[in-house]
Amino acid sequence: MNRRAFLATTAAGAAVAAFPAILKAQGGDTIKVGFPGPTTGPFGALAKDQQQGASVAMEEINAKGGILGRRLEILFRDDQLKPAVGAQRTKELIENERCEFIVGGLAAHVQMAINEQTKKAGKLFISVSQSDEITARPDWGPLTFHEALNPTITSRAVGNWLAQNLGKKWWILYADYAWGKQNNAVLTEVLKRQGGVLLGSTPYPLGNPEFSAHLPKILAAKPEVLVTMTPGADNIAFLKQAISFGMKKEMKIAQPLHWLPQLKEGGPDLYADIYAGINFSWQLEDAIPEAKNYVALYRKKHNEPPGDYSAYAYSAIHEVARGITLAKVVNSDAVASALIANPVYNHYKGKQWWRACDHKAFQDLWIVKGRERSKMKGEWDFVDIVQKVAASEELDRSCKEKGFV
Amino acid sequence: MRSWIATHPVVAFLVVFAIFPYLVPYKALATQVLIYGLFALGFNLLYGYTGLLSFGHAAYWGLGAYGTGIALAKLKVGSLWLGLAAGLGLAAAGGAVIGFFCLRRRGIYFAMLTLAFAQLLYFVGFHLADWTGGDDGLRGITLPPLALPGVTIPLDTSLAFYYFALALVATAVAALKRILDSPFGAVLQAIRENSERASACGYDTSRVKLLSFVFSALFAGLAGSLDALRLNVVPIESLYWTTSGQVVIMTLLGGAGTFFGPFVGAATFLVLEDRLAVFTESWPLVVGAIFMAFVLFLPKGIWGTLLARLGP
Repeated sequence: MNRRAFLATTAAGAAVAAFPAILKAQGGDTIKVGFPGPTTGPFGALAKDQQQGASVAMEEINAKGGILGRRLEILFRDDQLKPAVGAQRTKELIENERCEFIVGGLAAHVQMAINEQTKKAGKLFISVSQSDEITARPDWGPLTFHEALNPTITSRAVGNWLAQNLGKKWWILYADYAWGKQNNAVLTEVLKRQGGVLLGSTPYPLGNPEFSAHLPKILAAKPEVLVTMTPGADNIAFLKQAISFGMKKEMKIAQPLHWLPQLKEGGPDLYADIYAGINFSWQLEDAIPEAKNYVALYRKKHNEPPGDYSAYAYSAIHEVARGITLAKVVNSDAVASALIANPVYNHYKGKQWWRACDHKAFQDLWIVKGRERSKMKGEWDFVDIVQKVAASEELDRSCKEKGFV
Repeated sequence: MRSWIATHPVVAFLVVFAIFPYLVPYKALATQVLIYGLFALGFNLLYGYTGLLSFGHAAYWGLGAYGTGIALAKLKVGSLWLGLAAGLGLAAAGGAVIGFFCLRRRGIYFAMLTLAFAQLLYFVGFHLADWTGGDDGLRGITLPPLALPGVTIPLDTSLAFYYFALALVATAVAALKRILDSPFGAVLQAIRENSERASACGYDTSRVKLLSFVFSALFAGLAGSLDALRLNVVPIESLYWTTSGQVVIMTLLGGAGTFFGPFVGAATFLVLEDRLAVFTESWPLVVGAIFMAFVLFLPKGIWGTLLARLGP
């Protein structure tokens, strides 16, 4: 290669690297799904688990010949857990990459910023993390779908079970921000309906996990159940302090959710005997054929079992594919109509369905309890599945309560 | 060429930015550059031309964004002009009040006070969730069509919104040019060079500084307001100190104290972020290294260095 050819090739290479738009013409045959998620930042482990679940769905679909004869392609983007970045990346995915569908978002505030962009651009958006507002007016749009559970469903399901099985004298400890406050409100209402007694309720500033001032007060009140909303790193700090105060022996401790990456980080010494809800746990592979299929595919690709949030992403990608197949056209409006006209699906854990008014996915969830180290079979066996809570629209707010007439 | 640009900056600005959307990978990125460039331009008026380092410019960006956002989403004013006016009014009022207090101190104390006021607004925004949406951010901001005498233009495509923003930003650039060319602008630079001497010459330096502060807040507020219209959401991070940090970086990268430096800095920062983030999560490492290289070796920034190299 002479100098001139070398320069020309390098320049062309650099141009291609700088502007993937040039490659667009070659990739015209694929169906593109944009997938923003916070791969950097405090929820990085959960976001990566979601990306891996989405990739498993993509490969499964493409191995079977794609959709309408076209390959599915997922474009992952880092939203840094910031709404402005999530919004900008969504614009980039839609305008620059010509994605017709967006799946993703891993925090209420970011997914709602993404949702504003998809609403404006007229693209289908399937949200895959918790939020009450996303399926309620005014945030909801006709192309907004919500695959994940939400704080209302989770806390009603977990709260009912706790009151009926562990005791009706509670104390609630929660991080003082949107998610913590929402769960606190729902749990308080559930306990009242169950005829229980709320001995006390303590907010603390998110990201400031210093509980030693509160714990003696809670111990003295002798609640049967201590329900906590301490997300992320706060959760681990809280459990360490609670254990050092000997609280596990004095009362049952519960929280709305367990997340597999977090169970892994904290380990069984912290999480043993802690109750929580979960949308999916890989141990369900023994009971549910679809779960067995998903867990096997995921293990094969990533050499570890899937986490609970990856399953949302896996299911949502399959829903995009199912919608396109039903609609026979790659178009957001047509796919949305097709999904609502054929609302029942089952990709990884049994029957689910879209509710017509708000496009909320209804699905089973499970009450689980942290396992002791001595009882674990393998390094990922963190929970005992205690009971299934069957999917029910009663657990969510009604269409009317969400502002749909 | 250089002297022509110097004498006709607004025309030069319009020429470059008229074709800018076709030079970057997609239109929304061009709009983002335009808006952050305006934000940096406002910051530069205070820092580059008056010599006052504010670490709290997120306050005026955020006030502009929330002013417009609340007017459109909560008060349902339904007019683009009223929405913008609400943002600008709030930012100017915020600039006047905060400037009044902060300008009583100099140097690091001034910088820390501006930071403290901005963080104070952040916490107010966080807890006034009924108005601001709290940590979920303010959503539901509808973009009303542009109503001009005799004609109404919808702004819902990226390109239409870009040229609407360009018209406003160009007006702001022209206003800044007018400010800097006026005797008032000369006093600003006199204060930057030697505040005591400026006051010995008989200028009321505290009044001039306060005016400069309010103008700077107005530019930042217009930028924030446009960003609320662009994204249809106002995240609580708008008021957070990281937003203030970003505008400092953009301005220094482009060249503080130069007319177009802030736009060059914003464009460099945002285009690099956008393209690098597609390939690597460690893009801040690259942008950070470039920033440090400029601060250490070329402290005049990209545009400042270019101007110096081209000679007078």
